[in-house]
Amino acid sequence: MPGFSSWDDFIQESTANGKNYRQDWNKNFLPTTPAVAGEWFCLARGGGNPGADALFNTGTNLTFNQVIDTTSNASSIPHGGNVAPDYKYLCNASAFSAAATTMPAVLMLVDMIGYTRVTSTTTTTAQSITNTLTTISNFTADASSDICTHSAYALLPYTKVRLTTTTTLPGGLATATDYYVIKVTDTTCQLATSYANAVAGTAINITDAGTGTHSIQTLYPRYTNGKGVKAFMWANNATPLGAGTPNLSFPSYTNETYTAARATPAVLPVGKTAAANGLILYSGTAAAGKYGPFMPFQSGDSGYGSIEQVQISSTYTSGEFSIGYCKPLITLPLTTLGVASEREFMSQIPGGLPRIYDGAALYWLIYNGAATPTNSAFFGHLDFAWG
Amino acid sequence: MAGFAGLWDYTTQVEDGRGHYSFWRKTPSQTTTSGIWFDMSMSPGNPGPQYYAASPLVAQQMKRSTDGGIFHGPNITPDTKYLKRFLVMSAAATGLPMPFILADYLLYYPFIDTGTNDQQDMDNSLTLPRYTDGNGVQMMAVSVAAGSGTSPTFTVSYTNSLGVSGRTSQPQVLNTATANGSIVTSGTGAAASAGCFIGLQDGDTGVRSVESVTFTSGTDVGLFALVLVKPLITSSLLEQTAPCEVECLPHQAQLPRIYDDAFLSLITLPRGSLSGVAFHGEIETIYN
Repeated sequence: MPGFSSWDDFIQESTANGKNYRQDWNKNFLPTTPAVAGEWFCLARGGGNPGADALFNTGTNLTFNQVIDTTSNASSIPHGGNVAPDYKYLCNASAFSAAATTMPAVLMLVDMIGYTRVTSTTTTTAQSITNTLTTISNFTADASSDICTHSAYALLPYTKVRLTTTTTLPGGLATATDYYVIKVTDTTCQLATSYANAVAGTAINITDAGTGTHSIQTLYPRYTNGKGVKAFMWANNATPLGAGTPNLSFPSYTNETYTAARATPAVLPVGKTAAANGLILYSGTAAAGKYGPFMPFQSGDSGYGSIEQVQISSTYTSGEFSIGYCKPLITLPLTTLGVASEREFMSQIPGGLPRIYDGAALYWLIYNGAATPTNSAFFGHLDFAWG
Repeated sequence: MAGFAGLWDYTTQVEDGRGHYSFWRKTPSQTTTSGIWFDMSMSPGNPGPQYYAASPLVAQQMKRSTDGGIFHGPNITPDTKYLKRFLVMSAAATGLPMPFILADYLLYYPFIDTGTNDQQDMDNSLTLPRYTDGNGVQMMAVSVAAGSGTSPTFTVSYTNSLGVSGRTSQPQVLNTATANGSIVTSGTGAAASAGCFIGLQDGDTGVRSVESVTFTSGTDVGLFALVLVKPLITSSLLEQTAPCEVECLPHQAQLPRIYDDAFLSLITLPRGSLSGVAFHGEIETIYN
């Protein structure tokens, strides 16, 4: 059974079996513009170790792109590579800085599962996002048990999927049709015709194995069912956005139970004029419409299954930003210059070992409690273990 | 079986005395700079200092038996040794609070010249003595002769932990710190500055060897050693009245492995000059 069954199991796995990995990191604050106290930034494009990304201002406008740790130019923080069928966890983390005027601050580690680049920042109507699904695994089907066997260890219960084949899908299944996962084990599942049926465990009757090679497709590579998936909008490169303070919203999104036609509620987030490199556009403390770091959900929602539309209520005149889809993992409060913030997750927070999925693309978001100067250096380390 | 089967096994080895305890002291003579990482292995004390002195650009292995470092007990192969507890305290408030990293220093390339734009090729007749695949191994550039503060930029060509050669580090700019032992790429607010470790090429997780160093923009007059280290634990010494103690298993949910003949020392981030400041500490290891 993956994961740790006890402290004894954890100790044996991480010592006798050597299943541990340490990553030291250094990320500099963005090089373009100092922060204003109260703002959130994404440090992906900050220098350091890993270096600045060259990913998030690439790709087709309004098209969702998956991100994994090996995506070219992602420059995410390494975590030791894939470990399936084992489960990897974050055991310990630290962060500190000696740069002046950087404290207090809060660092948030997120797993960035995808992004959508938005270059049409002068369009003020609701703009549709292209959500193309990607194959997460091939699968075979057993008609006697209705079970599909795959290798997508990150495929979570109730995930909405579609199927493709090179020849003929198993009997009872069709292409261009939404199905919902009934997870049996990490590598087996059944399929249901609706989210409600998946929750109820009502599986589709598969009548034969089909012919050819079959594939399961999902939108997200991890956190596939959207539960807990947050979104933020940030200035993704050194060229600042133009003048403008638009309302920013998702006029249409699907939530974590795949209920469609959800929308960002009033009071809508308000973007900052001339938003600088790395700024989360609507973050801040001084006015209505300031949030941080994530876009607010419609009441009752807790995750994005997908985002169908984005809207900028008034033109930004120039520049671009990206929508980041992420799963928040941990926060580290930095209170004092030169004092490390450390968290150990085995015992400090009961049940709090954050899981790190294969392919996780780890980045820091930072809340600036002070006017953080450009290139301010932050350091730290992450300890991982798996079993 | 090396390692521990569980908490009961861990505590049994402790009770059976299968470990080592020792005390250490370091009193830097260098005038360190606030916010600039500093390599304490070059400071006087017990263990004594080492100076990265060897033939220029020729890889030199670092081992406790030949080069010193904090004593962690004898070689115990076929058993496996782990770091159980590490304590640091200071006799003065100067330079505190101070984050630090305890690292296993593996190998260095001496006397890299900051005064030339020519590619400086390394001699890799000797390779990593521990962590031989380079996974998790980081590079740091330690000043052994001060520059004049012209802040040139360099890159490092290296072989990564997968054995792929020709990888290129992030461009690094030298700081203006003059004390020997200063990590010359460290900075608090300069573009292309870094922390204690040189930024690797996207996707890399460690360094197996260094092929060359090239100053791509500007030159200076100093010398530095390029040191390959494996970081083990990180913590902070907050103040004079409060020793920093890391009991690795409960405090950090990790038991870092200590290889036979490991050269252990501290990399620190002081908040001022550490000249004349005495640091004392304890190290406790356990093996099975």
